[in-house]
Amino acid sequence: MWRLLHVIAIAALIGSAAYVYSVKYQTIYASEQIVKTRHQIAKERDAINLLRAEFAHLTRPDRLQALADAQLDMQPLALGQIVKADDLPDHAPKVDSIGRKLESLSLLGDSATPSAGLTGATPAVR
Amino acid sequence: MIETPGPEADEVARRQGAATRAGLVARLGGLASRLFSARLDKSAGRIRFIALAMAVAYLGIGVKLVSLGASHDPPQTLKVAADQAVSGARPDLLDRNGEILATDVKTMSVFAEPRRIIDKDEAVELITAVLPDVDAKELRERLSSKKGFVWVKRQVTAKEQQEIFHLGLPGVGFLPENKRVYPNGPIGAHVIGFVDTDNIGIAGMEKYLDQQSLTDPHVPGFVLDPTALKPVRLSLDLKATHALRDELVAGLARFKAKAAAGAILDVTTGEVIALESLPDFDPNDPGDFIKDPTRINRLNVGVYEMGSTFKALSLAMALDSGKATLNSRIDARDSLRYGHFTIHDFHATHRVLTVPEVFTHSSNIGAARLALMVGVEGHQAFLRKMGQLDRLRTELPESAEPLVPKHWGELNTMTIAFGQGLNVAPLQAMMAVAALINGGNMMTPTFLPRAEADALAVSHAVISPQTSESMRYLMRSNATHGSAGFANIPGYYVGGKTGTADKIVNGHYSQDRVFTTFMAIAPADKPKYLYLVMYDEPQGLPEDGGYHTAAHNAGRTTGSLITRVEPLEGVPPADHFPDQPFPILARLGLGGDADRVGKE
Repeated sequence: MWRLLHVIAIAALIGSAAYVYSVKYQTIYASEQIVKTRHQIAKERDAINLLRAEFAHLTRPDRLQALADAQLDMQPLALGQIVKADDLPDHAPKVDSIGRKLESLSLLGDSATPSAGLTGATPAVR
Repeated sequence: MIETPGPEADEVARRQGAATRAGLVARLGGLASRLFSARLDKSAGRIRFIALAMAVAYLGIGVKLVSLGASHDPPQTLKVAADQAVSGARPDLLDRNGEILATDVKTMSVFAEPRRIIDKDEAVELITAVLPDVDAKELRERLSSKKGFVWVKRQVTAKEQQEIFHLGLPGVGFLPENKRVYPNGPIGAHVIGFVDTDNIGIAGMEKYLDQQSLTDPHVPGFVLDPTALKPVRLSLDLKATHALRDELVAGLARFKAKAAAGAILDVTTGEVIALESLPDFDPNDPGDFIKDPTRINRLNVGVYEMGSTFKALSLAMALDSGKATLNSRIDARDSLRYGHFTIHDFHATHRVLTVPEVFTHSSNIGAARLALMVGVEGHQAFLRKMGQLDRLRTELPESAEPLVPKHWGELNTMTIAFGQGLNVAPLQAMMAVAALINGGNMMTPTFLPRAEADALAVSHAVISPQTSESMRYLMRSNATHGSAGFANIPGYYVGGKTGTADKIVNGHYSQDRVFTTFMAIAPADKPKYLYLVMYDEPQGLPEDGGYHTAAHNAGRTTGSLITRVEPLEGVPPADHFPDQPFPILARLGLGGDADRVGKE
């Protein structure tokens, strides 16, 4: 009886020690990971900052202007090209121009769909 | 009551006498046992010994303190030394729309700990082989010092860092540092300023930030992390500033001028939207900028005779004093004599002029006569009220004192009335003109964003709203049938005033060398922006008939500037004139002729 209790106690001792060790090493590992991640975040932040600076440098107005002058076939904005939204002309009434064309050619009948071979680019018989 | 010594005291004295009689060897031998013996009769020797030990200890501490205090280079840990040496983080500078004007990037710097370097000659040889721009002699001197920390080279490239690393020198290491970069190069450089290698502001808003203790980069352990610092927004508009610089660069080349400068001021808030002064510099590599007097910020460090643009102040003074109205008639038939001096008109009319005609014909005689109506005292008081006689202080650390005549007589008042004899900073003149046209509210220009309500709260009224409206009317009529026609951009209801000041060469006013200024307001009925463009010694072009007057150079530049900047600021051109541009004047039956297009 006592011997069994001793064995159980020793086993519990070893078990709890092992558990404590595993928890401890997990903690150390986790804190290492935190430090690493923090470094990673700081690095990424620096990289983002560098990219922001680079973007600002590449999109600086004098560079864009020089590139636009050299590469694009565009004119400087004339004041006459600026209009208010109210000054835009109203939409023209919607017109089915293709339908009207067909109508004027009197092709828009009941059997408006032309049969193959009569129209179209590809002749039915070679 | 004195007690006679008892038998116990006698006993102690006797035993002490016995102890001193004991031999030296016996004393040394018995020292340990006596030291630790608890017997009361041995305590005198023990106390003496402890007192001696204490004295020696305190003497040692004192000597050490003196030697520490006397040494110039206190030993410091690497951490502390590094914290003090690396350049700290600064807040980003943004323009009013959030575009980056200045930011920090991380770079690596190479440092050395001289005490840990074994072979200094070898180290110098290897390092200079990798970093050829490091001076070998200077580096040897630095490495021979007794310091715990010295810089080898600040801000090395990634490749250089790799090569230094592969040298494997003990006592040589790397530290991350913040390096200030200005992505837009010289655009707005005079406002932004720049920093030194330790990231401390040297000029412009960078220096202002340091003065405000928004940044204190040399507190030990100071945050290197830029995210901990809030970005600082300036009132500048990057795109408008670029447009201004672009136009000035083109104008400088076209008119072969020595220098050019310009600014755009929001007259409702006093914010400076754009400011450029050419020749300028690249804040990423300022070089000898500080020592070069041609690269100063001409708008607030240079002082100039503003020429005819100053007539706006003289006319406003006469109108506001009530001594003249827009209908007053001024005799400009003959040149104005005062003692030995004679005042002429550049565009002489030889007739009696109305006040608006004095302005549109830019009559020196008229302006002088109007100023004389107010008198010397009144003139001085008015100019002081308009901030023209005292140093203008803005956020920018650089400023200049106006050159005011020491003995101010009637002749001075007459010449200052048309812009000669008083040198002011152009930004100062802009501040006054802004107050003349914005309803009479005097506000100091600012380089930080400011809301209209805040600006009004810190402003004070200097002229009446009616005088202000008269000035807007005068500037508008000068654009339609005066000298400001080149800037009369359709759709923006522009008003303006030219100024061509002869420069003083060898004590005399020179006709060939001029300093031209142009001020324009848009729109004249309810001004938002005040434009200033100025050229130093522009040359007349053959296509302009050889004229080098302000209308042909500064006026043209202002015209194209308005065309570019107004749409950028979100102001579309209006398709018709405002219905009632000058309501107060209309009630008086005046101001109806401002929009007549074409010259008389």
